[in-house]
Order: sequence, then structure tokens, then C-alpha cells
Amino acid sequence: METINWALLAPLLIIEFLLLIVAIVDLIKVKETNGPKWMWALIIIVISIIGPVLYFIFGRRQR
Amino acid sequence: MQWSTLFQKELLENWRNKKWIWVPLVIILLSIMDPITNYFLPQIIESVGGMPDGTVFELPDFSPSEVIMMSLSQLSSLGVLVIVLLSMGTISGERKSGVSELILVKPVSYSNYITSKWLSLLLLVWLSLFLGLLMSWYYTNILYGTLSFVDFTKVFFFYGIWLTLVVSLSIFYNSIFKSSGLVAFFTILTIMIMSIITKIFHHVLDWSPNNLSIYIQEMLTAEKINGDLWATSGVALAISVLLVLVSIQMFKRKEMAG
Repeated sequence: METINWALLAPLLIIEFLLLIVAIVDLIKVKETNGPKWMWALIIIVISIIGPVLYFIFGRRQR
Repeated sequence: MQWSTLFQKELLENWRNKKWIWVPLVIILLSIMDPITNYFLPQIIESVGGMPDGTVFELPDFSPSEVIMMSLSQLSSLGVLVIVLLSMGTISGERKSGVSELILVKPVSYSNYITSKWLSLLLLVWLSLFLGLLMSWYYTNILYGTLSFVDFTKVFFFYGIWLTLVVSLSIFYNSIFKSSGLVAFFTILTIMIMSIITKIFHHVLDWSPNNLSIYIQEMLTAEKINGDLWATSGVALAISVLLVLVSIQMFKRKEMAG
């Protein structure tokens, strides 16, 4: 198999990673979420990209 | 003076709920996904396997302008969805939780309240779009061939007008409904109905905002901005401004009544 050019894919992976980190840090800091926190942690970690986005849109409680 | 205070409050709010981080990231992802996957498609097919020996694939060679249009089509579907979902609670959420009452108890004008929200959302969306398309343009240049920076700025500018309309629609429904779910539902429904009507009456509705992408593509192939693109952009901007003006009136009436 040909070698994959990782330099091209790096930005994608970095963005995916950043989203995950920002979501997790926010989840830890925030007092309350819609639904249990452990559930959101699971969603953020297991579903890449879409998980963090779901958390930001639906998980954070509107004050 | 008052307007800038409200505007800063919005910027701070969007910073606190991390919109300034995740929205640009998601828009960048959406914009670069297609250019990258299409580039790696031969390798992906090979690694998935299951093809009999000797199968020859004729994969199309994409031109740079086709690639940037791929980014736009992703943004038109998932990108619009993200924008609708992130803006669905901007006013309706505050009204539900009573924050808007706290703000509007003070002598804050309704138009300042609405326009500060509108412009802060637009700033977020335009900035994200800029970063997303910039990355897409970068990938297009290294993987598929040159697309001039001027072309990139034109695509950015004209496509931004379409997203402006989406944001304005969302603000409009925000001023009507208290439930953010309804706001999102009706915004998406309206966009879908607009696109259906545009398709059915395409011989009359030359300047429907839904045609913006088509004209952007024409602009890239013909390498000049035709009158239709200007007119369509004008129509889209006019509808956006109108929507915001109507929102202010609606909001005023609702708040007075409530």
C-alpha cells in the first residue's frame, strides 16, 4: 500500500482533537448540563467531531 | 454607546459558551472534508478492497473551481444546519429564561437589542466562513491546482451573503417563538420551501437567493461576475435587512403585549 501523506491529514486530526479537548474542559468546568454529565463525556469521547458539536449545541444548559 | 455595550455583551457571551472556538473549527472541518477525501479516494478504495483484479476506476480529475464548490455544497447543507442550531436560542432562549426581561427593563431599545445580536452572529459566521474557505483554498492549491486569491475572496464574499440571509431568517423566527426548537424547525423549513419554489419557478425567479451558489460557480468558470450574481446578492441582502426590521417590530409587539 502506498504511504499516506500524514502532513495533509494533520490539520484534520488536530481540529478533531481540539474540539474534543475544548468540549471536555468545558464539561468539567460547567456546573450543570442537560442530562447526566457522564453521558455527555461518553458522547464527546466516543463520537468523533459530531459528539463535541452535539454537546455544545444541546448539552450546555441555557442560562 | 448603548449598542456597543450590548454588542460586547454578545461577544463575551459567545466566548463563554465557546462558540468562538467550536464554530470556526466545525466550519473549517466541513470545508476541507471533501477536498481531502476526494484526493485520497483512490487509496481509500484500494484499502477497502473487495474489487476484482483488473478493475480500473476512472476517477474524475477535479478542477480547482469544482473543488471549492464541493466545500460550498457541504456548507450549504451541514454548515447551514450548524448555523441554524447555534443561533436558535439567541433571543428565544433569553426570553424563556427571563434574561431578556432583565435587559429590557432598562431603557434598552429593541432595535439595539436585536441588531447587536444579529451583527455578533454575522461576525461569528463570516469569520468562520473566512477561515473555512481559506483552508479549503489552501488545500485546493496544493492538491488540485491554482485558484487565484481574488477568486477566493469573491467566493467568500458572495457566499457570505447567503449565510447572512440564513442568520437573518433565524433572528426573525427568534423574535416570534419562545421555543428554540421551533425557531430551528421553521428556519430550516423556510430554507427548504425557498429552494423548492426556486426550483419550480426557476424560469421566473432568476434572482432567488437560493441561486447564489449556481451563480458563484458560473463566476468561477466564466471568470467574471455577471449581472445575475450582483442582482441575486442584492435581493438576498435586501431580504436580510427587511427580516431584521420586521423582527424588531415583531419583538416590540410581543414584549409590549407580554
